[in-house]
Amino acid sequence: MAILLQLLLSGIALGMIYAVIAFGYQSTFATSGTLNFGQGEALMLGALVGLSLAGTISGGPYLNYWVMIPPVLIFGALQGIVVERVAVRPAIKTRSEFGWIMSTIALGIIFRNVAENVWGRDDLPFPSPLPTEPLHFLGASVLPMELLVVVGALLMMVGVEVFNRRSIYGKAVVATASDRDAAGLMGINTSLVITFSYALSSMTAAFAGVLIAPVTLTGASMGTALGLKAFAVAIIGGLNSGLGVVVGGILLGVAETTTGFYVSTGYKDVPGLVLLLLVLSVKPSGLFGKTTIKKV
Amino acid sequence: MLQVDNLTAAYGQVSVLHGISLKVQKGQVVTLIGSNGAGKTTTMRAISGMLAPTAGSIRLGDQDITGLPAHRISRLGVAHSPEGRRVFPTQSVRDNLLLGAFSRLTFGGRKRGDVEGDLERSLDLFPRLRERRDQLAGTLSGGEQQMLAMARALMLQPDVLLLDEPSMGLAPILVEEVFAIIRRLKETGITMLLVEQFAGAALAVADYGYVMENGRISVEGPALQLQNDPKVRAAYLGGGHA
Repeated sequence: MAILLQLLLSGIALGMIYAVIAFGYQSTFATSGTLNFGQGEALMLGALVGLSLAGTISGGPYLNYWVMIPPVLIFGALQGIVVERVAVRPAIKTRSEFGWIMSTIALGIIFRNVAENVWGRDDLPFPSPLPTEPLHFLGASVLPMELLVVVGALLMMVGVEVFNRRSIYGKAVVATASDRDAAGLMGINTSLVITFSYALSSMTAAFAGVLIAPVTLTGASMGTALGLKAFAVAIIGGLNSGLGVVVGGILLGVAETTTGFYVSTGYKDVPGLVLLLLVLSVKPSGLFGKTTIKKV
Repeated sequence: MLQVDNLTAAYGQVSVLHGISLKVQKGQVVTLIGSNGAGKTTTMRAISGMLAPTAGSIRLGDQDITGLPAHRISRLGVAHSPEGRRVFPTQSVRDNLLLGAFSRLTFGGRKRGDVEGDLERSLDLFPRLRERRDQLAGTLSGGEQQMLAMARALMLQPDVLLLDEPSMGLAPILVEEVFAIIRRLKETGITMLLVEQFAGAALAVADYGYVMENGRISVEGPALQLQNDPKVRAAYLGGGHA
């Protein structure tokens, strides 16, 4: 029982990271119908920039962990703007149906290579801002950092939701997502909204990067698998459902930890991917995906 | 107020407008009538910037707005209630109306003024929307969505209102209601370009009319004169139906 609880808790912490990255996929898909397949690399860059600022690798620490977060968020937003301008906007402009897929993957590879040259190929330790002594809870142990992951992820998603519902700019983002042409007629600069959604998407990924870096290894290759699994989460949960990515993320995270323990760590990725295949064949819009009915 | 000269437009390779010229003077209601596929909606889309024209010019007051993106034209004071309503289904009626005033609520906007007050006034003009102000727009009936699309366009306090097929798909009693609102707007001195399939009703409310055929203006004149033109009557008024 204690073991199962342990696996659940670790699965939830991992799943919330998937959820944050998947949330980034959703934000760009909603406004532009495109995705940044370099989301994992955005996460990796966020973590490494955070490490340079708060770690000892480049003569630091220059900032403590908490103070380092805002600059990393700004860096993530700028990186997202670069991705949108370089890889996505040309594809949207020429109405290329699939150009953005290749160009965002290509840019992701470039970012990974740059990171390998700047920070090296080896994984680096990231100093934990919280005590590394686990907390004990009904026989299961939880790292304080894992709690921070869950709380931080939820806060970020709630923050974006409040912005979308309360502020006129957030309402403009939602309007652009539901009907880009009509949003333009309202005086909303929809290409700026798309740029913004890319900035937001990479910013959330960078945030996820600095959240998980202390509990995992930090390095140029850390983002690739995370980005891909988060994509599976976005498909499982539904590309237009905020609740979907949280549930999908937790499902995948728990499936991984339990399979890793009860079956074999070699098979830990299998149940999540089987779930992906099942969802695609049974409910392609995702577990929580909505299809809106248009009245004529 | 609004002057279109020799406008041509195309969807891809298919040319749809072949040199449209029309003029809407301040305080005038001008209607554009014609059969399906004549290019009425395309003309509206070109004016509001949803579609970039291939040649010709569009002037708003003394400003050239040809080829500007839709959001800039909106900020200059042209509101477009598009064909098919295009309300934002996942947002409330109130949010849809606030989005109509987006340019006024944001940095560098025009006519900032009293948006909340205007929202109240538009709910007075469209009482059906008042009861539904917190409901999602996607749950409204077709007629209510049409009212919302018109109210949303008015929230801009536009210099020119483009109204595309406000009666499309509505029950006869609602068509009557829509035209009553158009007449009321006209009394307030609004400048409007109205595209309609109910040519008789449109000419009855308008000051001036243009008849479109295959991407060209075939006949134009004061609305009263078009109503009595035997050719227009035969082709579009179905022997006096209104």
